[in-house]
Amino acid sequence: MKKLLALCLVSALVLGLTACGGSSSADSSAPAEQETAETEAAEPEAAETEAGGEARTFIMGIDPEYPPFSYMDDKGDYTGFDVEICQAVCDRLGWEMQVFGVNWDQKLVQLDAGECDCVWSGMTILDSMKESGYIISKPYFYNTQVLLVKEDSGLASSADLAGKSVAVQLGTSGESLLQDDLKDLADTFSEVVTCDSFLKCFTELDGNAVDAVFVDLPVALSYVAEHEGFTIINEELGAEEYGIAFRSGDQALCDAVEGAVAELVADGTYAQIAAKYPDIVDNLIFLNE
Amino acid sequence: MTFTAMVLKMSEGLGRTCAIFFLTLLFSLPLGMCIALLRMSKNRVIAGVTRFVISVLRGTPLMLQLLAVTYGPYYLFGFNVSRNKLIPVVIAFAINYAAYFAEIYRGGIESISKGQYEAAEVLGYTRPQTFMRIILPQVMKRIMPSVTNEVVTLVKDTSMAFTVSYQEMFTIGKQIANSQTSFLPFVVAGVFYFVFNAIVDYVMGHIEKRLDYYD
Repeated sequence: MKKLLALCLVSALVLGLTACGGSSSADSSAPAEQETAETEAAEPEAAETEAGGEARTFIMGIDPEYPPFSYMDDKGDYTGFDVEICQAVCDRLGWEMQVFGVNWDQKLVQLDAGECDCVWSGMTILDSMKESGYIISKPYFYNTQVLLVKEDSGLASSADLAGKSVAVQLGTSGESLLQDDLKDLADTFSEVVTCDSFLKCFTELDGNAVDAVFVDLPVALSYVAEHEGFTIINEELGAEEYGIAFRSGDQALCDAVEGAVAELVADGTYAQIAAKYPDIVDNLIFLNE
Repeated sequence: MTFTAMVLKMSEGLGRTCAIFFLTLLFSLPLGMCIALLRMSKNRVIAGVTRFVISVLRGTPLMLQLLAVTYGPYYLFGFNVSRNKLIPVVIAFAINYAAYFAEIYRGGIESISKGQYEAAEVLGYTRPQTFMRIILPQVMKRIMPSVTNEVVTLVKDTSMAFTVSYQEMFTIGKQIANSQTSFLPFVVAGVFYFVFNAIVDYVMGHIEKRLDYYD
C-alpha cells in the first residue's frame, strides 16, 4: 500500500514538473517569435524611410572592457567611440539604444541567440565570419597588432621575444593570428598565455608573469597613455579591419546603420565624436579616405 | 582542424586538468580534517574563527578566490604574479575544497554516538586512540557518498582555472572553439569530463565497497 502511494506521489510530481517545463518553454518561445516579427516589420521600414525611422530598440553588443571603443566610464555608464557613434546612429534613426555586454569569446553565439542585434565593439572582420553567413558592415577602422612591453625590459623587436612568454586575450584576432598566420613567431615564444580579459593580460605583464602582451594598437595606445613605464613595439603585424557584425538575414538592418553612419560622416558629427578619441583618429577609414 | 587534431590538442590540456584534480585532493583531504578538528574545538575562540573562515570560503565564489590567490599578492604587496599558474590554482582549490570537506568530516564525526567514546574509555583507550581506531574508521564509511559528491564536482570545477589563464583542457577547448567558430570542442570537453567522472565514480564505488566491512 505504501509503495503504491509513493508511486502515485512520484508520478504526480513528474507530471507536475513536465507540465511546468511545457508551459515555460511555451512562454520563452512566444517572445522569441514576437521579436522576429518585430525585426521583420522594422527592417523594411528602416530601409524605406531612413529619415523617419521606426521606433525600435536596437541592442548593441559590446565588449565592455575594450577601451577606447567600448568601456565603462567613471560614472559606470558604457561609453567609447563605438558606443557614441551607435548612439548617434540610433538618435538619427529614432531608435532606442540598449547596450549589452557580450562574453567576447561567445559573441557570435549570443548574436544568433538574439541577445543583441549586432556586435559593434572594435571587432576584427574575419573571413570565417562571412563564411558562416554573418552580415558584416563596411570596415571602419584599420588596425594592427602590437607588442606591449615594459620600458625597462630592453625588448625592442619581436625577435627579442624569443624564449619569452607573451599574453594574449582569448577571442581576439591577436590570438587567432598567433595560432595561424603568425604561428612561426608564436613558436619562438616560450609560452603563449591566454587570458580572458585585457586587464588580466596587463596585470600579468605588470606582475612580471609574462614579458609582453600581444594586443590591438588602440588598446595598447590607451593603456600606455594612462600607465607609465610601458612601451609599444609596432611592427605592423597582422593588418586587419574592424566592422560591425549582424545576423544573417539582417541585411536591411546593416544597410540602415551604414546609411546613418554615412550621414554622420557627411555632416561632421562623426569627426566630432572621433576628435574625443585622438589615439584612434589616424586609423579611422571614413575620415582618411 | 580535423576532429582528431582537436581531440589531441585538448588531451594535452587534460594532463593539467588531472594535475589540478589530484593535487587538490592530496592537500584538501588532510587539510579538511584539520579544519574540522579546529571547528569542533572546545575553545570557543578557535571554533568561532574557524567557523567564520569556513563561511567565507563557502560563501564566496571559487572564481573570486582563484583571482584573489593569483593576483592578490601582486595588487596588495606588489609581489610578482606567479609564472607557474598551477601553484596559485592548487592553493585556491585546496583551501576551498578543504572547507567543504571539513563540514563533511564534522557531520560524520558528530554522527557517532557518545556511548562509543564512553565504552572506549572504559576499555582503557586514550582519547587519540579512540579517535584513530574507533571513531575515524566509522566516519570514513559514513561520509564516502558525500565525499564522492565533492570529488565529482571538483572534476568539473577544474575548468574554472581558466579565470587565471591556466591552460587546462577547457581553456584549450574554448580557444579551438573560437578559432574554428565551432561548438564541437565543447561537446568533446563534455565527453572528457563525463568519462573522467565515470572513472571517479567507479573508483569511489570500489572504495565504498571495501569499507563495507561491518554490515
